[in-house]
Amino acid sequence: MKNPYEVLGVSPNASESEIKAAYRNLAKKYHPDNYTDSPLADVAEEKMKEINEAYDEIMNAKKNGGSAYSGAGYTNTNTSSHYYNVRMLIQQNRLDEAERILDSETGSDHTAEWYFLRGMCYYRRGWMQQAVQYFQRANQMEPNNMEYRQAIENMTRQQSYGFGGYNTPAGSADGCGACDICAGAMCLNCLCNCCR
Amino acid sequence: MFGYIKIFKSELLVREYEAYKSVYCGLCKAMGKEYSFLSRLTLSYDCTFYAMFLMSLKRSCDGFENGRCRFNPLKKCTYCKCGNDSVSKAAAVSVILSYYKVVDDINDSGFFKRTALKIVKPFFSHWRKKATKRYPKIDKLAEKMLSSQLNAEKSPDCTLDMAADSTAEFLASLLELEGSGDDARIYRQIGYGLGRFIYLADAADDYIKDIKSNSFNPFRQYKDNLKEVMNNNLSSSLAMTFDAYNLLSLVDFKGIIDNVILKGLPTVQSEIIEKFEVEYEKSL
Repeated sequence: MKNPYEVLGVSPNASESEIKAAYRNLAKKYHPDNYTDSPLADVAEEKMKEINEAYDEIMNAKKNGGSAYSGAGYTNTNTSSHYYNVRMLIQQNRLDEAERILDSETGSDHTAEWYFLRGMCYYRRGWMQQAVQYFQRANQMEPNNMEYRQAIENMTRQQSYGFGGYNTPAGSADGCGACDICAGAMCLNCLCNCCR
Repeated sequence: MFGYIKIFKSELLVREYEAYKSVYCGLCKAMGKEYSFLSRLTLSYDCTFYAMFLMSLKRSCDGFENGRCRFNPLKKCTYCKCGNDSVSKAAAVSVILSYYKVVDDINDSGFFKRTALKIVKPFFSHWRKKATKRYPKIDKLAEKMLSSQLNAEKSPDCTLDMAADSTAEFLASLLELEGSGDDARIYRQIGYGLGRFIYLADAADDYIKDIKSNSFNPFRQYKDNLKEVMNNNLSSSLAMTFDAYNLLSLVDFKGIIDNVILKGLPTVQSEIIEKFEVEYEKSL
């Protein structure tokens, strides 16, 4: 097993609050919610497990028998589904096989689930534009289905990704907004006080 | 399609900026050494990023050395030293892609430009041959990208995703070569998002031009909510890259790579969208 301190990125003599903060940051990063429907969900889950174990180990060593943190149990497989095998294939990233089964159903009267799963295949390939269209179709047919709605919400979240200033106007970093003026005035005020 | 993977300079630390420049210069030097003086002209930010990313993955940067710039002997510069073939791989990618770009341009440009390109083509094909000898896989991937791109554009019901797939698939397979198991899957995902972003950014950038000249553009099927389609697809491609990138724990050059993914690419995106809006209103 890996060195738990390395996993969390802290030094062996870090304080408990430092360890907690590092753990929290990583847990936020690898949280399953960030990887809903992603083909890398299992990798993220693996990482999550790793940091959970590392955290437990460090805390146990520190406290000698502290609380055990329950890992991220995260599966959303619908076993009663008609397309159970397709869902399994998608979860294992065997997209070609899943698509072949879905596409072999000819005719135009597909169910909402069919559209959803077809969209999921596209999504996992990174064909986002088509994925959205299929998810929306599924949602239109069964507006009350949480699974379909969640998939759309997930896509919408990605389309307006909030990190690092996505969808902010260009050059905003060197612009002079209202906040900058206030901050500037505050800095000036501090400087003036210093001089006196 | 070159030059979209840029740093956001004003938010880099000075030492990070110097490290970035040294990778750029190191790559330039490697191209001069391995191919020829002229091949240095094909140098791009994208390949610099690729070299830096590989060096970060393999932890193969062995420090820096001082030297002088070949193009401007008065200027002093720093070269990064690379412990493995990351930099020469990036040089190979650069000359191979330039060759295919020339081939592609010959196919769809006017008489004068075509003649000029035909004259320089032998240089490019010579470099490409040399690069292919060392990295046959990369050349195969690039060739596949070009042919699948042409096929996709010819097909009458070519969707946006289908058009972007060739470039995305190229970068995905290129990065996938660098690892195995879960690592390879993460690299693949990073590459796919990035490739898709580059292709769509280029398409959005050229939209007005393509419509005027009646050439292929993946966005031409969208009429009323064009700007949203562009923005949403660019954002979700970056989100894909970012989610996968988060699963890596890099050390070397981390600040610079973070800067590119979190600041540089979104800036490129908003610049393109803004430029598009202005031009689109003019053209109406």
